[in-house]
Amino acid sequence: MSQTEAMRDLHSAATSHRGDRVFNRIVTAAAFTSLVVLAGIAIFLGFQAIPAFQTQGIAFLTTTDWDINTDPPTAGIWGMLYGSVLLAVIGLFIAVPASLLLSIFIVFLAPQKVAKTLTNLIDLMAAIPSVILGLWAFYILNPPADEWQRLLNQYLGWIPIFQNDSGNFLGTPFIAGFVLAIMMIPIVTSVTREVLGRTPPDLINAAESLGCSLYTMLRYVALPYGRGGIIGGVMLGLGRALGETIAVFFVLKVVFETNWYKIIESGGGSVATLIVGRFGEVTGPFELQLLLAAGFFLFIGTLVVNVIANLIVNRTGRLQK
Amino acid sequence: MSTQTLDQSRLTELSEQQLQRPWRKKPRKFTLSVILAVIIPAAIVAALFVYSDIPGVIVLVVIYFPLQAIAAGISAWLTRGTRSIGDSFIIVTALGATVFSLVVLVSVLGSLILRGFRALSAHFLYQNSVYINPSTPLEYGGIGHAMLGTFLIVGIASLIAVPVGIATAVYITEVRGRAVPYVRFFVQAMSGVPSVVAGLFILTIAVSTGLFNQSAFAGGIAYAILMLPTVARTAEEVLKLIPDELRMGALALGSTRARTVLKVVIPAARTGIITAILLGVARVIGETAPLLLPLVTTMELF
Repeated sequence: MSQTEAMRDLHSAATSHRGDRVFNRIVTAAAFTSLVVLAGIAIFLGFQAIPAFQTQGIAFLTTTDWDINTDPPTAGIWGMLYGSVLLAVIGLFIAVPASLLLSIFIVFLAPQKVAKTLTNLIDLMAAIPSVILGLWAFYILNPPADEWQRLLNQYLGWIPIFQNDSGNFLGTPFIAGFVLAIMMIPIVTSVTREVLGRTPPDLINAAESLGCSLYTMLRYVALPYGRGGIIGGVMLGLGRALGETIAVFFVLKVVFETNWYKIIESGGGSVATLIVGRFGEVTGPFELQLLLAAGFFLFIGTLVVNVIANLIVNRTGRLQK
Repeated sequence: MSTQTLDQSRLTELSEQQLQRPWRKKPRKFTLSVILAVIIPAAIVAALFVYSDIPGVIVLVVIYFPLQAIAAGISAWLTRGTRSIGDSFIIVTALGATVFSLVVLVSVLGSLILRGFRALSAHFLYQNSVYINPSTPLEYGGIGHAMLGTFLIVGIASLIAVPVGIATAVYITEVRGRAVPYVRFFVQAMSGVPSVVAGLFILTIAVSTGLFNQSAFAGGIAYAILMLPTVARTAEEVLKLIPDELRMGALALGSTRARTVLKVVIPAARTGIITAILLGVARVIGETAPLLLPLVTTMELF
């Protein structure tokens, strides 16, 4: 730490040179590009969102109809906002246990070589482009998923979330959530793996010598120790899921109704998918502005989730140093 | 002096490796019982697969997983007592999650390769798809136009995002100004911008300012927005690994700060910075949504 301060003093002493000052200014300007871009997105999209609110009022956020050609046009994105969250929650239900267990396996159970290979494979999984995942889901995942959902409906149909009245099991929130889970697993795993791996060996050794088994060690030492980081990793995955567009576009049938809980009923919503899906057939500048307004709220939502996630991850990172 | 510290660090590393994993020592009986606990449920399930007509998913999820967990619990209980039942449960579920992820990965890659390799050939990479329709034989046509477009747009994005990203990293690790925590925070926040929002943003600028129209350039800027945080964060990690002695040495020899960064620090981190650029390219090269919006009309222009 003191060395850093010494370096800073050295640097500030060296700024007397004119070329250095120019260099300094250029680098500082570049460093604030990210702020400028973030502010730019907020301002430009926010500005475009104004007409949507002038015509629709608060109903733009609370209703689900999308009828542009009527007079006056009605448009609301509640179903999409809710649908995005529903898909993300389904994804989290699969991805969080899977990635936690996966990172427990990598950190505590697997031999060093297996752990390394697995880590690389999971990173490879993160590198699959979302459009390829969408194609895969459409052609490969859809048929078996159709069967799984039929079975779920057949045996567990009495539970409200497994109701299906239409008999159509494609384009459901369940499939879309499953695809999102596949996208989230590598992100969440990479964070939880690091957090669990940073549990001090002294603590583990102490727990083991006090007679802890692996289960009790995880339960009382490793998981509580890494709780903040794990929550942060989950929220990073959530941020990714909320903004995901193309993979969901392939497998979700976007309908302008609020699908409250029937996760294996065809039809759901997602803000990002709404934007891409409607964009090709925009009927006029007004509908474009509605989509831009939807994008504004998508941006705000993901930004809030990501900022909270990063704050949590950074804080636990500092605590552990 | 330096060799001594090296040896010391290697020593501590070694002892840490040995100290770190005391839970590794397992009695041989344990291994045997685990093998049995794996084989028996697998045999039962294989028999069910062959001799009954219960759907495969049900066999797997409703019968195999619980059976496997119970078998592992019993074997643990017999060899190591009640308290190890939790352990065996963790092991079984962790293995299950690992297998699940690997199956998904193999399925994605395998289906791509198995279904796609028939169409793969040299001409597929450079021919374009003009005059090509679904009934054209596989000897004709390709993705040449798409490859060219991808190179063009990723190239434009790299031209913008790489200098800015590295400069951001230089600000964080070399200039170390007062705003470092804020800059890092903004870069992190920027890495969460959904790709479709980046596309909408560029579209809005294009429409409202008229500075540029919907073109490869617009797509390149949208990509650059997504690429910048990846490049900046990776380059920051890399530059942090450069020892301060190098910087101090350069400054002590009388070089200015700009020269220290440009001639000493960045060349020393060259390979790492190339990694940062490649990671940035990998981040955007598979993105779809940002181009769908700003580029939508150029399909007709080409």
